[in-house]
Amino acid sequence: MKGAERIEIDRRYCKGCMLCQYVCKFEVFEPGQERSALDYLMPRPVKLENCRVCRLCESHCPDMALFVVARKKGGEKE
Amino acid sequence: MNPLGEKYLRKNFLPFLFCPGCGDGMIVQAFLEAVDDLGIINDLALAAGIGCSAWIPVYIHADVLKVLHGRAIPAAIGLKATRPSRKVVVFTGDGDGLAIGGNHLLHAARRNIDITVVMVNNQIYAMTGGQVAPSTPVGSRTQTTPYGNLEKPLDGCKVAIAAGATMVSRWSTAHPKALSRTFKKAINHKGFSFVEVISQCPVQTGRYILGSGAPHFNLQWIKDHCVPVEDPSKIGEVEAQGKIPVGDFLQIEKPEFMEEVQRMNQKVKEAQSKGGER
Repeated sequence: MKGAERIEIDRRYCKGCMLCQYVCKFEVFEPGQERSALDYLMPRPVKLENCRVCRLCESHCPDMALFVVARKKGGEKE
Repeated sequence: MNPLGEKYLRKNFLPFLFCPGCGDGMIVQAFLEAVDDLGIINDLALAAGIGCSAWIPVYIHADVLKVLHGRAIPAAIGLKATRPSRKVVVFTGDGDGLAIGGNHLLHAARRNIDITVVMVNNQIYAMTGGQVAPSTPVGSRTQTTPYGNLEKPLDGCKVAIAAGATMVSRWSTAHPKALSRTFKKAINHKGFSFVEVISQCPVQTGRYILGSGAPHFNLQWIKDHCVPVEDPSKIGEVEAQGKIPVGDFLQIEKPEFMEEVQRMNQKVKEAQSKGGER
């Protein structure tokens, strides 16, 4: 089964629009407490184990700040 | 950051100046995906006028022409005429493309010159503060129509088809994969291609026309109102329900302008070498 190793959110560019949380069907994200460099509250990938690497969040990120790093087959790291 | 961004964006210009939740950043990403798949970044020449969407090409590490309001298409035609090997793409907004530069859109489509026009439609003049635009729906309250808009909106795709464009598509920011596929098709298409992108503007359209400035509300509105149609004959049916049909509406082959010019030049040269008769 496909899974994500990690979800990178670039704190230099994130504007906290939370579209990633909205488009995700597996409830991976939740609003976080950490602020980005532009002073917006950033989302936090809390349920990373739910991620199916559909990359909807990635293609819906208006600031190109988000990136999903997929886990390689057999559980190896990239 | 997204690897596409690492590869193709001008880092010193970042972050994007778009408002939080704006659709323009998604269009940058969909366009870069298409450019990456085609591998044409060095052949690319981009042109833009004035407006929020005219900032899209500025962030891309390619040759960019930023010109007067509405005049991006004539500048792009000049570029294509002098450098026919370049892939010329114009980014324009609904005000830039349909109102101020509406005339240029008609004549570029009529000429069928090989450029791609991407018109980002957010249904309002967003950068100047939310005035009524040619694509604003009837009854919308904006800064300049406080009692509701009385004018019927202008459909960019129908205008382009009527004027003679050879490829016409409309997608939205809620369909990023289809949008990227269409960009690829439009860049490869020989002739005038027109791609309209329905985009969300939470700050102006969202707050004044739709009733909420939340980015997810605006995205959901686009998801609910844009209906993909496979068959162009169903467009009327979808419009009657008050929704926006999206899809690839037209792709035909017609003689391209620059090829015709070269053919004419050849003919004139041959005639002149024979002794001046035409």
